[in-house]
Amino acid sequence: MAGAFDFAPAIALLPFGSFVVALFLGHLMPKRGALAGIIATVGSLLLSIWVALTVLGGETYNEAIYEFVAVGDQPIQFGLLLDPLSSLMLIIVSLIAVLVHVFSLGYMNDEGETGLPRYYGELGLFTASMLAFVMSSNLLMAFMFFELVGLCSYLLIGFWFRRDGPPSAAKKAFLVTRFGDYFFLVGVVAVFATFGTAQFAGPESFPRLAEAALAGEGEATLLFGLDAQTWFTVVGLLILGGVMGKSAQFPFHTWLPDAMEGPTPVSALIHAATMVAAGVYLVARIYGFYALLPTALAVIAFVGGFTALFAATMGVVKREIKQVLAYSTISQYGYIMLALGGGGYVAGVFHLTTHAVFKALLFLGAGSVIIAMHHNEDMWEMGGLKEKMPVTYYAFLSGSLALAGIVPFSGFWSKDEVLFETLIHGFGSDGGIGIALLLAYAMGLVAVFFTGFYTFRMVLLTFHGEPRSDTARDPHGVHWNVKGPLAVLGVLAATVGVINLVPVHTFVPAVPEYLHDWLFYGPEGLNGTYYEELLHNVAGVDPGYPLGEVGTMLASAAVSLGLALAGSALAVALYRGDSPVEHTDRLGSAKTVLFNNYYQDEYQVWLAQGLTMRVARGADKFDQGVVDGVVNGVSSVSLLGGSRVRRIQTGIVSNYATLLTLGLVALLVGIGLMGGWF
Amino acid sequence: MLQQPFEISGLALLAPTLLLGVTALVLFLIDSIAPEESSSALLSGVTVTGSLAALAAAGAILVTTGGDPQDLYGGQLVVDGMSLFFTFIFTSVTALVALASYDYLEEFRYKAEFHSLTVLAATGMTLMASSNSLATAFISLELASLPSYALVAFLKNNRGSVEAGLKYFLIGALSSAVFAYGISLVYGVTGHLQFNQVAENLGAAGDGLVGVLGVGILMIIGGFAFKTASVPFHWWAPEAYEGAPAPVSAFLSSASKAAGFVIAFRVFTVAFPQATAVDLGIDWVLAFQVLALVTMTLGNFAAATQENVKRMLAYSSIGHAGYVLIALGALTGSADQALVLGAGMLHLVVYGFMNTGAFLFIALVEYWGVGRTFEDYNGLGKQAPVACVAMTVFLFSLAGLPIGGGFLSKIFLILAAANAATIGTYVLAFALVVNSALSLFYYSRVVKAMWIEDPVTDLEVGGYPTGLYAAIVVAAVVTVLLLPGLGLFSGVAFDAAASMIQ
Repeated sequence: MAGAFDFAPAIALLPFGSFVVALFLGHLMPKRGALAGIIATVGSLLLSIWVALTVLGGETYNEAIYEFVAVGDQPIQFGLLLDPLSSLMLIIVSLIAVLVHVFSLGYMNDEGETGLPRYYGELGLFTASMLAFVMSSNLLMAFMFFELVGLCSYLLIGFWFRRDGPPSAAKKAFLVTRFGDYFFLVGVVAVFATFGTAQFAGPESFPRLAEAALAGEGEATLLFGLDAQTWFTVVGLLILGGVMGKSAQFPFHTWLPDAMEGPTPVSALIHAATMVAAGVYLVARIYGFYALLPTALAVIAFVGGFTALFAATMGVVKREIKQVLAYSTISQYGYIMLALGGGGYVAGVFHLTTHAVFKALLFLGAGSVIIAMHHNEDMWEMGGLKEKMPVTYYAFLSGSLALAGIVPFSGFWSKDEVLFETLIHGFGSDGGIGIALLLAYAMGLVAVFFTGFYTFRMVLLTFHGEPRSDTARDPHGVHWNVKGPLAVLGVLAATVGVINLVPVHTFVPAVPEYLHDWLFYGPEGLNGTYYEELLHNVAGVDPGYPLGEVGTMLASAAVSLGLALAGSALAVALYRGDSPVEHTDRLGSAKTVLFNNYYQDEYQVWLAQGLTMRVARGADKFDQGVVDGVVNGVSSVSLLGGSRVRRIQTGIVSNYATLLTLGLVALLVGIGLMGGWF
Repeated sequence: MLQQPFEISGLALLAPTLLLGVTALVLFLIDSIAPEESSSALLSGVTVTGSLAALAAAGAILVTTGGDPQDLYGGQLVVDGMSLFFTFIFTSVTALVALASYDYLEEFRYKAEFHSLTVLAATGMTLMASSNSLATAFISLELASLPSYALVAFLKNNRGSVEAGLKYFLIGALSSAVFAYGISLVYGVTGHLQFNQVAENLGAAGDGLVGVLGVGILMIIGGFAFKTASVPFHWWAPEAYEGAPAPVSAFLSSASKAAGFVIAFRVFTVAFPQATAVDLGIDWVLAFQVLALVTMTLGNFAAATQENVKRMLAYSSIGHAGYVLIALGALTGSADQALVLGAGMLHLVVYGFMNTGAFLFIALVEYWGVGRTFEDYNGLGKQAPVACVAMTVFLFSLAGLPIGGGFLSKIFLILAAANAATIGTYVLAFALVVNSALSLFYYSRVVKAMWIEDPVTDLEVGGYPTGLYAAIVVAAVVTVLLLPGLGLFSGVAFDAAASMIQ
């Protein structure tokens, strides 16, 4: 009997079908292709759930479905890898995709946007690429769909291509992520060159070969005369380049705030479930490789912690609701990276899951607010929306509590586990990595405070107080297709934490920790248990409990919750009341720096214009002058020579006879002299 | 190839040559019965049939004997894979030219003479391919040449044609004299004319006669250089190709050139083996390298500045002679000789079709009475798209773009040169690439004129002649098919080359 795995390709093919249908037939359809997208993504969601249930039954799947370069023992192929991690991610992606499609009915169709077949087509392709990326069985296939995801995000961010902002934002997103992908591509080639295969799973997969090579058993081709550990770290960091570009980690984060120019449902899809998630998902996917490399782990954790703090501080001063969410997204992905780098594989995936839910919720809630505000995003012109749109408010509040990390909302459990895992591994590990993890932890911890602050500043300014503009006094109503997804996500944001109540489990073993079990006992070489062994045996990353296991956990949770509450309380104190005032002036000169995003854009623009442009001009000069000069020179010499040759052909036959004879004599003399005939 | 080659008696082995000779006589017969009412269809039909029959006979002999050398008349002639391979080229070109002449000669008198001269020349060429002694080589070369002189001057009332014929004849006479003198010197040193005996007796030159032998060999090279239109014996070519009726140009530049090469291949691998010659101090490989380099460069450079399309093709034909000369210039001791010779043979096969096709397109344009310069071709693509597509295929294939077999055969030549792996052959390979790039420039000018430019004057092509079109389309189809199908020939070519060398 055909099982779930036989239908798995359809998970990606269904949205692809909706892409084709919406693009070519969308203009004929009642909702301009939205229905095709909704049907397809619901189909994907159901199939994903079926796959997950099959995986729950203990089965996994890792097979090639198409080989396109059948050379050698390890042909280059398209394949599916369905294990606990990918099936979980499939559910997240398809769920968010369904909700975004439904929400788009309210945000796009009801608002009378044009070009909807294109919109739904791109949305379908985007979902299809992401789902295929999640199921990829090897690094090359993953790279291809990674690129396709990037392309679709470019198309969607620039959906309103007739305005000024979106095309430029789309270009920026494309170029910045491409810069990271360049390293990724080199990394893919390096993986092939080193291991001869790019498979994720199985005994012949590259993480396993790397492990064997480090143990001195297997063989791997090392380049540039580096030893195995160093070279693998280089490869890991190259792949990490793509991750940092896509997941908007410092210093490649600058594209993400600009990407808010796209339609808001697209922002939800990009930041919650697809493009940005693709980066960190990749790290989790090849965690068996990174777990071998303490330096790479330290880099991941440190970049993550720094990004978490750095982005959170910028979110504090923003005026537009989507900008706050943009910086919050960067910051939260920093946490996920922090967890993965800090040895918390489950914690990272957990936070990825909860963040997907509550960030999608917040973006869709913001979208609802933006509909109501007639596409005005400035929070200082909002206020008092709480009474006018209660569904949006309560859903948004649920998401905000989760984002701020207030118990018992989902974000608390995941963020707490992220920080806890990083802390204990920081204490338990010797040497540089221990210190790096502790520093990263410290930054992540401080960011908790800022997160609480900007979250509640956003909530208060948007929904509380007196309306500060006419539109806020009389907002535009929203329909079920907006409220429905918000309600679903609002409930989920509050409750999804139950899948992994690790702290509670410690006290009451009867409380299950589903996600932990789910990820820890997966197929051989792809599960948390195995990763912990690798971390311990190879990378030297171990947990350590300065206050005992329970004590450390309680202390960590208390500190992070306390900071979150403190940040939230500060926001409430500053912005409560009917007419809150701006407090940014109190920041002094820091305000300018923050408003300008630490001048990140400025230096990157300088890099592009001041430096790259100059190098490009130099190269152009070389090309025009030297290369073209040589080419042009050759052609004019050829033509000149040609006309000379032509002139010898006088048309007088006695000249020919003379020249013929002279030529023969010259040849005779030349060859004769060389052969010594005379 | 069959496992056990059959023995075939002497006459049957010469069937292609005899068939061609008989065809010529039949043509004479037809003409003598009704000299004034010569029917174009009948004459072309007989010629095409005769040459295709010869082609089929060559194929049958190749299959039956498996390409093993068969000596005839005491070793004066030899029929082997090489000779049959080239017979294929000659007869194909002859058939194409005869087919095209059906329309081209419609208005002319003396059609029968034209056809019989062509077939007689082809007979001489097949004999050249089978020659195994310097005497038969000389006689068959003359048999191929004399009808050619008359063919070039076929347009008796056209000054250009007559002048070209005379020049061709004069240069030809001079070259024949050089060739004959070279033969006599070689005979003087070795005492033999038959190739393998010449080879055995090369050692006789050891006592002070090396210079004499060397001069003889270089003069023989001169004779072949004339036939292949290689520098410095190329002077006749631009004029003869331009002045002659275009089908004759096609015939001469494709078949006649191939004939010159086949005899050169045989003489220099059988009679003057490279190893022995170099030991004596006669480095003919170097001579061919110099000739190849100069010929391809001169041909292409001169072609680049022509305004007349036919003359451009004439020079390009010289350039291609230079490319094929690589096959002789790369016969160094270090090379895989079968590969090197085979590469030259393959290029000649492809060239036989693409170059014939290109000249036949010129014939078509002459038939229409459109002018001869590049500008006159402006806008032809709209008037005669089929023919212009075919011409585009020919030109791009000549340039070596992967649209026809010319791409692969040039790659084989480069491989051959790289395989020989001496500085000289690397230079040749490099020159081949540079010259091909240059050639793309002037070939593209024609393509651009046909497809992109607007006609200067009102252009009206006069009809779509069946025979010419058929010949052009066949040539184009074969040219394209040779791109995937060259593998079919390469086996035969490399086997033929290998069996001759041993």
